[in-house]
Amino acid sequence: MAGTYASGRRRGAHVPASVWIGLAWLALMLAVALAADWITPYRFTTFDLRNRLAAPFHPAHWLGTDELGRDVLARLIVSIRISILVAFGATLISALLGTALGFLAAHARGLVEQCVLMLADFQAAMPFLILALAVLAFLGNTLPLFIALMGLYGWERYARLARGLAISAGAQGYAGAVRQIGASPSRVYLRHILPNIAATLIVSMTLTFPEVILLESGLSFLGLGVQPPMTSLGTMVSYGREYLTRAPWILLAPAACIVTTTLAVSLVGDWLRDTLDPTLR
Amino acid sequence: MLRFLLVRLVRALLTIALVVTFAFVVLRLSGDPALIIMSVDAPPEAIAAFRKAWGLDDPIWLQYLHYFAAIGQGELGLSMRSGRPALDLVVERIPATLALTLPALALKLGIGIPAGIQAALHRDSPIDRLVMVAAVAGFTVPSFVLGLVLVLIFSVQLGWLPSGGQGSWRHAVLPVLTLGIGGAATLARFTRSAMLEVLGQPYIRTASAKGVPWAAVVRGHALPNAAIPTVTIVGFMVGSLIAGAVVVESVFSWPGVGRLLVVAVANRDLAVVQCILLLVAITMVSSNLLVDLLYGVVDPRLRGGAAGRP
Repeated sequence: MAGTYASGRRRGAHVPASVWIGLAWLALMLAVALAADWITPYRFTTFDLRNRLAAPFHPAHWLGTDELGRDVLARLIVSIRISILVAFGATLISALLGTALGFLAAHARGLVEQCVLMLADFQAAMPFLILALAVLAFLGNTLPLFIALMGLYGWERYARLARGLAISAGAQGYAGAVRQIGASPSRVYLRHILPNIAATLIVSMTLTFPEVILLESGLSFLGLGVQPPMTSLGTMVSYGREYLTRAPWILLAPAACIVTTTLAVSLVGDWLRDTLDPTLR
Repeated sequence: MLRFLLVRLVRALLTIALVVTFAFVVLRLSGDPALIIMSVDAPPEAIAAFRKAWGLDDPIWLQYLHYFAAIGQGELGLSMRSGRPALDLVVERIPATLALTLPALALKLGIGIPAGIQAALHRDSPIDRLVMVAAVAGFTVPSFVLGLVLVLIFSVQLGWLPSGGQGSWRHAVLPVLTLGIGGAATLARFTRSAMLEVLGQPYIRTASAKGVPWAAVVRGHALPNAAIPTVTIVGFMVGSLIAGAVVVESVFSWPGVGRLLVVAVANRDLAVVQCILLLVAITMVSSNLLVDLLYGVVDPRLRGGAAGRP
């Protein structure tokens, strides 16, 4: 992938402070998600009935407790893990599925290509939230199904990108050359074309990632995403809403987490897009 | 032009057919539709009658055709919860939703487009910075967080406005603001980038070099060209008038279509969900069709019947 773009040489030269802060925040979120079991002060379901609705900065509960005396910090840590897991899983599935379909369309052309493009148009035309709600209504909800469903979000963007880029790469000398010496189509696409278009796809992933976080938290907020006793950032906000007047901290901690995480990914994503791939708007 | 229209119309109908297919496939995946739609405790003869009426003992392709035909005639089934036709339930919720989404749309257009234009015309000025910060905030703050923060400030702290429910116009203020602010920020960002792209074009330089006053350049050359991409996003906003308030209606317990959808999903009231799905598809597709027609008007290059959008 090195040297794909001339602008690549400038990479890392002038990284704005906002991007560093964004990266630092993401690293923190990732560390929290990975180390959740070790750093959590309590189990997220543990009750502390003597300290119900404790305000933040309580000596035993830094971020306070909810109405059952469950530690908000412990719940926040587990929520971050689940939300990050869903967002990562979904973004990966969507990128893999979309890229595969895009390559398929570019390779097969004809009817297959028209079908893929029509499905992509359909996906782009319908509000994803409504489709997701319909699937959840018809099929019920479990965490793997939920991640798979979120994985359908945004696949059409990768499919269009991958198809367009693969078609134009196929017209370039290197793809023709490896095809001439007898490489199989899968080798041409995966070993030669994919590395050349990976930068664009990765940028696309960083732009989709915050949208998946927002979608997951929105669905969980509606009570139709991650189901109790599991908890996610959106579930926590939805739950904390009942105590908006008496204990706003239950809701504000996860809400702030959602906002800062999406902000951090967008800052990094915008910067990556400008640095790696000026062709994307 | 006629060819352009026909191609668009066929695509629109295909999209609706795809939604119907989607509903059919997912419905079949979920189990026996007779038991789901009729509810489990329905008398056996009613279920048998239902199976016969819907042809559930027929081969699957025949069922698919019948399903299409039934939906074409507006037979969308009965709500499991209330036993009333699903379509009636949905239709009577539409005015409540429009009471939120129409003022919100006006707010988005009224703030978003002028703010975006001003930001582009005064690039890197404080106005531009403000619009960009607002646009980023509008994207990163989810509507339910914005809504709850507004409730916290205006209902809980200040006590000026009710926090939810439907009654006087005061109940609508916070939901409309929640919907409008987020949308205005998105629209401002789109308008800004569309304007900036147009302002960088050679014909703008030519026009101002030959002495056309700047205001006339903007009005005569920049705005009409920047309108083309903006029409797309506005079209999407018009298309989501019915279903764009799912989350906000839930935050403010507003009895609209979105709230109905959430409750129907939670209760697995499939007839209602299916009905809303189709209604949303029809509104989205119609507004896309309208956008395509507008493209034809705004951009003469697209009238030739070429399929792609810019």
